[in-house]
Order: sequence, then C-alpha cells, then structure tokens
Amino acid sequence: MPPFHLIDPTRLVVEIGYTLIIVFLCFSIYYKTRDLYDLTKYEGIKYFRITFLFFGLAFLFRFISVFVMVMGMTFDFEISRYLFRIFPLVFNGYFSTMGILSLTYSMIWKELQIKHMLIVSNAIAIIISGIAFFSRSSEILIEAQAVLLIFTIIMAIYFYIRSRKISQLYILYVLFFLFWLVNQLALGPRRFIPFEFQTAFQLISIAVIGIIYQKVSKWTI
Amino acid sequence: MIFDILNLIRNHHNSIKPTPLLRHSNLSSQSFSEYFNELLEKGLIKEITDDNERKFITLTDKGFKYLEKYKLILGFIEEFEL
Repeated sequence: MPPFHLIDPTRLVVEIGYTLIIVFLCFSIYYKTRDLYDLTKYEGIKYFRITFLFFGLAFLFRFISVFVMVMGMTFDFEISRYLFRIFPLVFNGYFSTMGILSLTYSMIWKELQIKHMLIVSNAIAIIISGIAFFSRSSEILIEAQAVLLIFTIIMAIYFYIRSRKISQLYILYVLFFLFWLVNQLALGPRRFIPFEFQTAFQLISIAVIGIIYQKVSKWTI
Repeated sequence: MIFDILNLIRNHHNSIKPTPLLRHSNLSSQSFSEYFNELLEKGLIKEITDDNERKFITLTDKGFKYLEKYKLILGFIEEFEL
C-alpha cells in the first residue's frame, strides 16, 4: 500500500501552489536584474541572476516529477518510466546543480576567479545529472548536492572567520539550499518526511526566497 | 573608476577629446586605455569625429543610464555582497 500522503489530492494542490509561487519569484528575480547586468556586465550580478533562472527551471521539473508520482499513485495508471520520471529528474538535477554552483560562485568569484566558470559548472552539473540518470535514483542526486551544500557552508564559515561578521545573506542562501534538498527528498522512494513537515519546509522556503526577492526589488525597478 | 570617467564626460557637456579626458582621469596611459576600451566594448561611450577630423568622446544612452542608476547598481552589489 502506498504511503497515505501520496494519495491525498491536497498534496497536489499544495505542490501546484508552491511551485507557482517559487517559480514566479525566481523568474521575477532573473528578469528584474536584467537591466543591472546589461549596464555593467558585472560578473557577480551575472552569476547571481542566472542562479534564479536555473532554480526556477529546476522547480518546474521537480513539479513534473512530483505530479507524475502523485497522479500515478492516485489514479493507478501506467506511466512511461523513462519519459515522465527519469528525464524530469535529470533536468531537475542539471538545473538545480547549476543554480547551486552559480549562487556559490557569485559570492566567491572575486577570490577564486575561475576562468570559464560556466563551462566548469556545466561539466559538474552534467556529471551529477548523468549519475542520477544511470542510477535512476534521486538519492544520488540529493547526496551530490548535499556535498555542494557542505562546500557552501564551509565557504560561509571561512568568510566569517576572515571578516568576523556573520553575513545574513549567506545564512539565507544556506537555508535556501537546505530547503531545496528537503524538497528533493519528496522525490525519493522512501519519502519519510510527513506531508505536514514538508508543507512547513515549503512555507519557510517561500519566505526565504521572498526575502531575497524583496531585497532585489529594493534596488531594481 | 568607470563612474568617474563617465561623469567626467558628462560634466564636459558630453563631448571631450581623449587627451583631456586622460589628463582629468588621473590614470596612467595604459590604465586609461584599458578602461577606455572596456567602456567602448560595453557601449557606454562612443567616439565621434567632427568635420575637421577631430575625435571626441561622448556618452551613449546606455552611458547616461549607467550614471543615473549608479547608486542602485552600487547598492545592489553591496546588498548581495557580489
């Protein structure tokens, strides 16, 4: 018998609402920062804004995976495993990895100055999503992205030690990545996070990206 | 520095020859050349030639927009520690 919360249609409505809000906020941030980047071609702004383009796309593909799972369980019909489950997972993995790498790099690009960072990020994202494809598992994807999250936390600590200043922004970003990983857990076979906790995490992640959106709006028209 | 150079051009009635611009910018020739090329590439300034074949540097619309939005740009970069 499938876990009870997966055959609850309320979950579908919550996922639709959550995805719509998050995708709207992500794409809005990307769009609002267009002028600033066009004027300056500033590297940090470039990586900051493409982060939200990638995450918007990642959330869309995540929703497709969740939708297929919920519909399959609720209405008990056969779904092409490859087309509707594996490919959204792969695209989800690619876009979210690119998002994590872009946001992390936007914070540290002045220190690292990696040439052809987009090519490097693409290579890492393709490897990680390739592993997800061949393993047919979202768990591998979650583990790989957890490693990236740990790296981001280490960078935040490093900069704190250097500047003796806690950056609220870094805390926001770490929370954002953490909640992304929690969202990804909904795609795994175990799905051990109860629906109520999942919803609470989703609400908090909307608040986190809402704060980022509000900060962006302050400086853009 | 980009703001300073653009501001210099604007303050000279949006038309200044390269040599006075170099002098007012207090940069070495090499540094000035690098910034100048960067501003040209980004489309913030343009070179015009008058009837007597004299070259002048002027701001483009994009250059004016950059000056208008400079505080916003700085504020955004500082806010997000970019």
